[in-house]
Amino acid sequence: MDGLTDSGHGHFNTKHKWRTEFSGCNYVVKNDTVANHMRVVSLSSFLLRFNYRSTHHLTSNGFYEFLNWFDERAWYPLGRIVGGTVYPGLMVTAGLIHYVLNLLHMTVHIRDVCVFLAPIFSGLTAISTFLLTRELWNQGAGLLAACFIAIVPGYISRSVAGSFDNEGIAIFALQFTYYLWVKSVKTGSVFWTIGCCLSYFYMVSAWGGYVFIINLIPLHVFVLLLMQRYSRRVYIAYSTFYIVGLVLSMQIPFVGFQPIRTSEHMAAAGVFALLQAYAFLQYLKDRLTKQEFQTLFFLGVSLAAGVVFLTVIYLTYTGKFSLSLMRYLCPPPRYAKIHIPIIASVSEHQPTTWVSFFFDLHILVCTFPAGLWFCIKNINDERVFVALYAISAVYFAGVMVRLMLTLTPVVCMLSAIAFSSVFEHYLGDDQKKDSPPTEDSSDEDDKRNSGNLIVTMLMLMLLMMFAVHCTWVTSNAYSSPSVVLASYNHDGSRNILDDFREAYYWLRQNTDEHARVMSWWDYGYQIAGMANRTTLVDNNTWNNSHIALVGKAMSSNESAAYQIMQSLDVDYVLIIFGGVIGYSGDDINKFLWMVRIAEGEHPKDIRESDYFTPQGEFRVDKAGSPTLLNCLMYKMSYYRFGEMQLDFRTPPGFDRTRNAEIGNKDIKFKHLEEAFTSEHWLVRIYKVKNEGSSRTSSFLRKARS
Amino acid sequence: MAAAARGPPLSFAMMRLSFVLLLLLLLLLVQSGGGQKKKENMLAEKVEQMMEWSSRRSVIRMNGDKFRRFVKAPPRNYSVVVMFTALQPQRQCSVCRQANEEYQVLANSWRYSSAFSNKLFFTVVDYDEGADVFQQLNMNSAPTFMHFPPKGKPRRADTFDLQRIGFASEQLAKWIADRTDVQIRVFRPPNYSGTIALALLVSLVGGLLYLRRNNLEFIYNKTGWAMAALCVVFAMTSGQMWNHIRGPPYAHKNPQNGQVSYIHGSSQAQFVAESHIILLLNAAITMGMVLLNEAATSKGDVGKRRIICLVGLGLVVFFFSFLLSIFRSKYHGYPYSFLIK
Repeated sequence: MDGLTDSGHGHFNTKHKWRTEFSGCNYVVKNDTVANHMRVVSLSSFLLRFNYRSTHHLTSNGFYEFLNWFDERAWYPLGRIVGGTVYPGLMVTAGLIHYVLNLLHMTVHIRDVCVFLAPIFSGLTAISTFLLTRELWNQGAGLLAACFIAIVPGYISRSVAGSFDNEGIAIFALQFTYYLWVKSVKTGSVFWTIGCCLSYFYMVSAWGGYVFIINLIPLHVFVLLLMQRYSRRVYIAYSTFYIVGLVLSMQIPFVGFQPIRTSEHMAAAGVFALLQAYAFLQYLKDRLTKQEFQTLFFLGVSLAAGVVFLTVIYLTYTGKFSLSLMRYLCPPPRYAKIHIPIIASVSEHQPTTWVSFFFDLHILVCTFPAGLWFCIKNINDERVFVALYAISAVYFAGVMVRLMLTLTPVVCMLSAIAFSSVFEHYLGDDQKKDSPPTEDSSDEDDKRNSGNLIVTMLMLMLLMMFAVHCTWVTSNAYSSPSVVLASYNHDGSRNILDDFREAYYWLRQNTDEHARVMSWWDYGYQIAGMANRTTLVDNNTWNNSHIALVGKAMSSNESAAYQIMQSLDVDYVLIIFGGVIGYSGDDINKFLWMVRIAEGEHPKDIRESDYFTPQGEFRVDKAGSPTLLNCLMYKMSYYRFGEMQLDFRTPPGFDRTRNAEIGNKDIKFKHLEEAFTSEHWLVRIYKVKNEGSSRTSSFLRKARS
Repeated sequence: MAAAARGPPLSFAMMRLSFVLLLLLLLLLVQSGGGQKKKENMLAEKVEQMMEWSSRRSVIRMNGDKFRRFVKAPPRNYSVVVMFTALQPQRQCSVCRQANEEYQVLANSWRYSSAFSNKLFFTVVDYDEGADVFQQLNMNSAPTFMHFPPKGKPRRADTFDLQRIGFASEQLAKWIADRTDVQIRVFRPPNYSGTIALALLVSLVGGLLYLRRNNLEFIYNKTGWAMAALCVVFAMTSGQMWNHIRGPPYAHKNPQNGQVSYIHGSSQAQFVAESHIILLLNAAITMGMVLLNEAATSKGDVGKRRIICLVGLGLVVFFFSFLLSIFRSKYHGYPYSFLIK
């Protein structure tokens, strides 16, 4: 257990740690056997629980019931309309596979389908990447690209078994849509375009990232027009795609009328109009004399410009169409940093350092510009597409870590092109046959062959390093069910910490079925999914004031917190405490974000500065600020901790995460009582004493009056 | 006409008389009114003086004497926000200059807002003009923002927590609203420099195209476009966007031994210099790949091609191992390396 203690970060560093992988730390999360692995992972990650729960609802109650599902277990006391607020693609896919398998009398549990969905789809992604790269370059590059995307860490994070996530299937849909698009631009056949639209429809149903497609394809068409590469093929492909794709995308309840209302879809409409105008002009050009055509051209262009200008002004004026393009162009984290602490607090919304690029892509990140270079040097219609794809994706990945996912496929393809063209020249010996053996002596030939051999060997070695890197990253960072933690001793043996499941099981068995559990939002889906209890906030809560209220309860003193908890009808409070084992992702380390978010909504009651020492430090020991030492979160975390001596070298009440002896060892509760503490104290659950006689909530009473 | 000719002297005399009378009256008042009146008078005078200064400049510059008289000494019925700073170039305080800009924005927003009153003044004390003030207040860091309330001494919360919330004028306004109940809506002068630069660029490009309208071949030059695309890619993959948003220092100089480190020790952050190094390394590796390809496809003599091939291979292998070693030094616990440890 010794190794654990160094993982503590004495000072506050949760900003980046929150919901990030604890990759560099000693916390490497592992499972026992492969079979167990699957089971555990499926019950794992914070976010994915929700998807599983909705899929379960879908399979047991049917599709229409799912669309109308009102989940009263979430966001108590508000509840959540699930059917209209999710992208249903993932759940429907899993449900469909389950249905078909059962129809064939292969009885599997829906959970097993969910667990294996991501690996199946990553296989499909590899196939569609192969197809797309083959269209762009050649078969060899396609094979390399498929190999790359199969193991690259940037995509592995979404394709491990048990990662039941929208992105997992969306990347397949993305790549397949692009393949079909390239195919339809190449052939100009409506058949391929309709296929492209169906694939696009699937993408819209799966992930909000479909906006990337609906902007990239118009951009491709626009650039083709600028490059005077207009052809009937492009015209047929885009016109069909736009109309059919638009109609299909509006069938998803969550998307609804957005494609004709919001500004991020306007580029597609604009390019559609432009393409029609261009085609019309081309048609006229064939019929008219040059002089007539020029007059008509100028008249038409000025008229069109005027009409567009007036329409935009009118729409903006009436407020139907907001020119919110700035929101997309200016880096979102910067916008959010100033305005919304809750967005800034999520680690996935941070900009990307070069280390993350290298970590996720390794050699590919240095070689894919070479592929881009080759593509632009030997440009054709579809290579324009891949160049635009690369440039836009790399921009978005630079702005937000999360969007690394959209960059990964294109990096794999372009890198594969770079490597494949090198191998083509140095690996094969067919060149020797072509060149006539004239004055070149055999000595010279030998030398050249050995040179080729060295180049090939070194390139293969680099690729081998890439494979090794991917394996290392996958095993260390990305196969991480955050439910089961493992720690390593000095001799390499392993301790499994199963506290989360223990606690959720306890909740499930020992509390009332309708009990409401308050916790910070990271654990919302887990509590709902694994303990089957009602939560106040979860990972998808967008109601900032609701989260702020929970944050306020956590950061107030006990009596003030009790009032809030009474008004919210809280029965149990669940917190994560890592002080015993040195787990750095616990609630005390996230605590400042709770304070900050609470301060945003209740600036009169909560002040961030009150939680710091006069020197501006965040300390939990005796020198810490009295407000901190008496707030609910502190008291719940360190209740009875002062009696506990972990080590002979340290005093009782020594917090291993923050390497400090706690400052308030005499903690007593008036309105709460300890209900459960897990084996390693990782999860602590408190019961809120019910002093009021009636169970009816004040909230409901207020609502009635 | 006669009346007009006699007019001015008469009125002058009248004025002088009334002035003398007024003076006498004042003197009498002051003598009879005693301390209370004197105080009020002084206060009125101070407020008037402050108003006059702030009508000239939205931030009042103060030296030691002025500071003691108008900010420290009672009586006062106005709040004063003071920025203690060191703006002289020889002090080399770049933070002070940034903070000063934000402070000016805030003070101007207040000065030209409709709610402007004599309840709040913005002042600045420069170290080189009022070093005694710094000593008196036991202050050893600049910039510092302090609020002096109308009554009583400044408390702990009256010092702005610069370390934690930064010095954006919005934050300052929030702090002032908290301390004085004066709400200031920060109005930033719109930044036209970006628009102007864009317009210049567009007109420049347009002009260039017009001048060379007979020879537009260069637009179809693939190398130029490929270069531009690679520039975007290199800028992004080396984390320039991170630099843009987070604004890290160029490099870190250890104050103890003066050693300059260009590579940040943690994998969560980076220096500007570091990102430039990475940019060059990435570019070198890409160039190596291109050269390898070039060596095989170009139709030159064999020796030259062999040299190009070797150079390309060297670039790829050497710089990649270098990149890997930098990554290894930042990402603690990473086990692999290649050629260079």
